[in-house]
Amino acid sequence: MVEASPAVDSAFVYHRRRRIRPMRIVAYGTLVLLAATWLVPIAVVIMTSLRSEADFSQNGAISLPSSLTFDSYRRAWDVGHFETIYRNSFLITVIKVPIGVLIAALCAYALTKLRLRLATPMLVILLIGLTVPAYVTLLPIFILLRNLGLIDTLWGLIPPYVAFGLAFEILILRAYFRSIPDELIEAARLDGATELGIFFRIVAPLSLPALAALCIIDAVGTWNEFLIALTVLSSEDHFTIPLGLRNFQGLFTTEHTALNAAILLAIGPLLILYLVLQRYIVSGLTTGSLKG
Amino acid sequence: MRNSAPALESAVVPSRAGGLGRGKTRGKLRSIGVRYGFTLPALAIYSVFLIYPAFRTVRLSLTNWDGIAPTWRHVGLKNYDRLLQNDIFHLALKNTLIWSVAIIVVPCTLGLFLAVALNEEFRGRAVFRTIFYAPGVLPLVGVALIWGWIYNPQFGFLNQFLIKIGLESLSQPWLCQPSTALWATIVAGVWVRTGFPMLIYLAALQAIPKELFEAARIDGARGWRVFRDITFPQLGPTHVVVVALSVIDSLKVFDLIYAMTYGGPGNDTQVIGTWVYFNIFNFNKAGYGSAIAVVGASISLLIGIPYVLFQARK
Repeated sequence: MVEASPAVDSAFVYHRRRRIRPMRIVAYGTLVLLAATWLVPIAVVIMTSLRSEADFSQNGAISLPSSLTFDSYRRAWDVGHFETIYRNSFLITVIKVPIGVLIAALCAYALTKLRLRLATPMLVILLIGLTVPAYVTLLPIFILLRNLGLIDTLWGLIPPYVAFGLAFEILILRAYFRSIPDELIEAARLDGATELGIFFRIVAPLSLPALAALCIIDAVGTWNEFLIALTVLSSEDHFTIPLGLRNFQGLFTTEHTALNAAILLAIGPLLILYLVLQRYIVSGLTTGSLKG
Repeated sequence: MRNSAPALESAVVPSRAGGLGRGKTRGKLRSIGVRYGFTLPALAIYSVFLIYPAFRTVRLSLTNWDGIAPTWRHVGLKNYDRLLQNDIFHLALKNTLIWSVAIIVVPCTLGLFLAVALNEEFRGRAVFRTIFYAPGVLPLVGVALIWGWIYNPQFGFLNQFLIKIGLESLSQPWLCQPSTALWATIVAGVWVRTGFPMLIYLAALQAIPKELFEAARIDGARGWRVFRDITFPQLGPTHVVVVALSVIDSLKVFDLIYAMTYGGPGNDTQVIGTWVYFNIFNFNKAGYGSAIAVVGASISLLIGIPYVLFQARK
């Protein structure tokens, strides 16, 4: 051993040991096995959806399809009213997410950067929203929306969705806004910029990565929301994807391949979105929770 | 907005305060108005659609309302009294606690070990991360259907797999019998919830100074000892965040149970969320259902508020 460079030396030894340690092989094997287990449920659904009903009933769930067919997707699309539920979920998401993120960003900015005397109590009250279960508000929300004539409409979902999304959005944005230097805001003020001007021309553009991440996470949450939609919406024409999904088991009692095709049609867009935009989802989730 | 700028400036930047007496005060007030104005849309919608409904539920829990009739009577704490003596409420409470404990212990532990494993440099680790978090983005009703299909007594993967490996005696109607139904839903919950702690721990691990590990290695510490003496304690605040968020989330459990078992068989998998919903919207017991909701929400708040204060103070 060369005494002069202990760090380099120990790193070297460590590397060599690492390569031959059987523990590492066991750990890697366990990881692969676990990952495979994690994939089984989705793999089973994909495999069942791609075969004919006859093939499935003959060979069962644990077998490869004898031939690939997309027939069950066509069937699932029609029976599951996918045109309607996709449209509704899409509409509600593109309307709710920008409104919610904008309102949350304005508020989070004021709470972190505008030196409000009541900032801390306001923050605490807003963050408590994280812990309030939606079920304790359902009946009054139902009554409220009925009085406003918004029951069983997509519009009616937007205010409660915004209200329940605020806590998480403010938590994440606060962490991000705090990293923006105060001098930047002061300088803009000296140049005569208005408070709103500062927010839209300086703070918002600087926070674009955080805002983008948040929009994606929020879109996933909105797309998936079930309990409030279940309470507010009653006619099938207004159903969102989770509400449509709930009906599938009843709609496809004997058509197993179509049921699985329907599940995949419902979750497919999200899986693709996740694979493409994973980076943003991960960064958004971790900033909010850790640096908060 | 534009012409208010000078006034704002004078209020916010003392060195530039040029106004005299009254003008200065008015400018200051206006500035305070503008600054609080930023929070107004959020506070308004939050108050009307979250705080007010929650308090209204507390009031409704003191009535005998059925949810339909135009009138109701105040009955004081009678609903709470009935609740305490009701077996299904006890069961729902117990199930919610079992569910929560399981969803804290299993995914958080598993997530921590996955994070430690994936914090090492090796080929393909990004793929593993992608796989383990993937279920977390799916709609829970979708997850319920996927697992409902796995558990299908006749066609499901699980029973067919058991038969294939010669354990036919173990195959059973997982979701349809009291002894396994709750645990079957918990397995689906673990599948969904493991990715989140993993991501948080992974991010936190990357923030631990590398020198600490180097120093430990030089001292001859390996494997488990490094984990016990350095990794685990260094993750201190992260444990709080992960556990708190898991508790908060799991006490709200509704979608998975509603869509997988509908609270059944019988009422064996009933949780607070589903039992509230059924009472209010299916059984026309709005007052009674509200009382259950209040008890459930109180537990959530009791556990959640310390975490909120912890976050707000940072």
